Amino acid sequence: MNTSIFFRKAAPLAFLAGLGLTACQPDLENDVKPSSGSVDFSKYIAVGNSLTAGFSDGGLYLSGQQQSYPAILAQQLKTVGGGEFVQPLFNAPNQENGSGYLRLAGFTPTGSPITASVSTNLALRQGAAPGRPLYTKYTDPINNLGVPGIRLSDIETPGYGSMLGNPYFERITPDNQPLQTYLERVTASKPTFFTNWLGNNDVLGFATAGGAASFLTPTADFEDKNSKLINALTADGAKGVVATIPDVTNIPFFTTVGPVFRATLEAAQVPAVVVTTGGFSATPGAPPARKVIPVNTIRNANGSSGNQLFTLTASPYLALFGMPNNGRAWRDVYKQAQPALPAFVTLELFLQLQGIDTVQAFGASAAHPIPSTLVLDDVEQGLVRTATTAFNKAIKDKAAEKGLGVFDANAFFSRVAARGIVTNGVNNTAAFISGNLFSLDGVHPTPRGYAIVANEMIQVINSTYGAKVPTVNANDYRGVDFP
Amino acid sequence: MKFKSLLLAGSALLTGTAASAGGYQVTLAGQKNNGMGGVGVGLSLDQAAMFYNPGALAMVKDRGIQLGVNATLARNAFVAEGSNQQRELRNSITTPLNFYAGFGPAEGKFRAGIAVYTPFGSKLQYADGWEGRTSLTDIDLKSIFVQPTVSYAISDKLSVGAGLVVLAYGAVNLQRDVPLPDGFGHVELDGKADTKLGFNAGIFFKPSEKLSLGINYRSKIDAVVKDGDVTFTGIPATFSSRFEATKFGATLPLVATTSVGIGIMPTENLTIGFDVNLAQWSKYRTLRFDFDKQVNGSTVSESRREYQDALTFRLGGQYKLTSGLTLRAGGSYDESPVKDGFVTPETPDNDRLSGTLGASYAFGKFGVDLSAQYVSIKKRTQTQQELLNNGTTDRIAGTYKTNIVIPGIGLNYTF
Repeated sequence: MNTSIFFRKAAPLAFLAGLGLTACQPDLENDVKPSSGSVDFSKYIAVGNSLTAGFSDGGLYLSGQQQSYPAILAQQLKTVGGGEFVQPLFNAPNQENGSGYLRLAGFTPTGSPITASVSTNLALRQGAAPGRPLYTKYTDPINNLGVPGIRLSDIETPGYGSMLGNPYFERITPDNQPLQTYLERVTASKPTFFTNWLGNNDVLGFATAGGAASFLTPTADFEDKNSKLINALTADGAKGVVATIPDVTNIPFFTTVGPVFRATLEAAQVPAVVVTTGGFSATPGAPPARKVIPVNTIRNANGSSGNQLFTLTASPYLALFGMPNNGRAWRDVYKQAQPALPAFVTLELFLQLQGIDTVQAFGASAAHPIPSTLVLDDVEQGLVRTATTAFNKAIKDKAAEKGLGVFDANAFFSRVAARGIVTNGVNNTAAFISGNLFSLDGVHPTPRGYAIVANEMIQVINSTYGAKVPTVNANDYRGVDFP
Repeated sequence: MKFKSLLLAGSALLTGTAASAGGYQVTLAGQKNNGMGGVGVGLSLDQAAMFYNPGALAMVKDRGIQLGVNATLARNAFVAEGSNQQRELRNSITTPLNFYAGFGPAEGKFRAGIAVYTPFGSKLQYADGWEGRTSLTDIDLKSIFVQPTVSYAISDKLSVGAGLVVLAYGAVNLQRDVPLPDGFGHVELDGKADTKLGFNAGIFFKPSEKLSLGINYRSKIDAVVKDGDVTFTGIPATFSSRFEATKFGATLPLVATTSVGIGIMPTENLTIGFDVNLAQWSKYRTLRFDFDKQVNGSTVSESRREYQDALTFRLGGQYKLTSGLTLRAGGSYDESPVKDGFVTPETPDNDRLSGTLGASYAFGKFGVDLSAQYVSIKKRTQTQQELLNNGTTDRIAGTYKTNIVIPGIGLNYTF
């Protein structure tokens, strides 16, 4: 074959094909150019509690902080003029484990998770009183004002940042202003853009204690302080997004243990269990009220039946159900309560005040009931729900008054609890450990969960302010870390 | 023999890509046709009639053999919903081939021949770590059809023909990342299709020197993979008990197409063709994999496809400039079989618009055919809400755009 003719003929076509190829690569980047809309993102301040701090797995530690939703959000805001975002990281050498946290150590033969505490490389400071840690100070200016444990009701409390207050707030409070309140700190932050997700602990502390401790913030107090906080944040015309308080009864802390307990009791044909309700008694002759919970009223796995909730922390005690001569549950209740009790209240006296006889089978009778701290019963849930609804109304009303975006975290987490959420083809649910969204404490999200929260807030920013802030691929952030 | 060795050498590369004609169908069966927008059902150009319309083979003046090869160069851009990060394919080239040998008495009414072509195929390699990694990272579908064909001219105006279509070789390789709580593993499914039979039949009618008409039907063949290999990698020991499968089975429909074509020859040197194809993609409802053991708790994986039948319109022509040189041009419009909210990374499909150019040079009994196509697959966006509504959240929301350039060359020898 005459190859020279072939090549002479082919060359122009090959050239054309080459030209076509250069022009061939499609480009979508113009379609997805980020824009800031009507917002100046140059100084973003995040206000909130543990959720905002990046608390996860029962602790605040470096990698959790680095994957907090404000950190993820700030990273995305950089595409639309966002500035540096400083967090009070536990970044001193060998202090990366911060407060300490839970890790997954393995599973029992029946598939129950085994957790272990990480207690090395903590960021503890000398001079702490027993039971009240002090963490390595971080007093540089910061953008993430998330303080684990803070309630909205705490924001005007002088000394909340002192050594007798909240150790996480103490840590970031300037040494020369130990009495600065959280509200004052927020007021001084002068953001151009903010997020505010505060108020969860105003219901959560009461709920996770099974209604036996802490308290629900009065609605009027909540409204007043929420209003002051938002006024402070918007004083210089800053724009922002506020988040509502999720219904805490949807979180794995309350939905994981009960269904297993119910199934075990049903298999053993146990008709009912006995619990105490409310706080513990300090008055002789007036033990806390007992409540009989029929087994079929314990919430089941998919929530289709039953409404009595057991806490995640109840798990080791519920395994003792029916055992006589086993005082472990009440002994531990006493240990937890002891710091707040008068010194003369011994274990024996404490049990007597509560009317407990640990010789009896645990959980099966009024003489040896399951402690209230492990149960959030239907009545307590009603109180929590009423408070949550009132608080969320206050949050939304104030946001509407100021024209702020609202991330309805309550609606969002209810949807997630009912149907899960798919992120780029990956299924995530509200299930403990396997669901990817909630960390080992059953309350706080995993990095995956926080990334999804950041994306939800971005959508609110975009729709409220006509911005085009890009979201992250949530699948690049982990769920629960496996051993 | 020269052509045989060429064919054998090339067979390792015999693949198509999602180049033309929607879904994973490829229509690059004849190099002259490729330059004319893919028309051919109503024409009797050369031995490639065995593919386009076996009925027209008896009307092809010459007997001969011909071999064509194309290089499909696909370029794709993807942006996930909400993201501003553009992902591009790890670029790969596939080289669909076609081979025809036609025989018969010089003056007789019979023609017979054998055709080898690759009507279905796809090869895409997505960027490392892209957002849709858990639905697909790589796909390589290959099929080779061999078609013994006979054609008979009932009169000098009417001829019929048919071929036995043998799915001689089919291979599928699918890879994706496996989502784990704290990272990703990877799974590769690799299998060969069973040999299957179908048919390709057509009628060709040429009432005058200036007009010809054709109709063609190619039957559906199910590519059935049994005992394909499942290979998991990067799964930590903690999770390995959930990923036990080693074998899989799956069925992919290679759908039936019905085509009608018309040829117009206003002058001796000018030929214009117009084809309409209907591909019965509605047979493709779900993609189901059956595993021998569980994969994350299930031995079955099903994914909705719900394709719809799709039409393709083709228009093209050729002009014989000199006794040796013929020039061609054409174009096609190809409806996507993929409905909104059902787009998958295997076939990031949408309606396609193609433009083609071609030229042939004949010297004696030898001829060279050159062709070039530019295929623009329309930009397509699907939202997470659409995926939720359709129950198709196993794939990814976002915007795809693909362009393909396909240069091709064919050699022919007539006798």
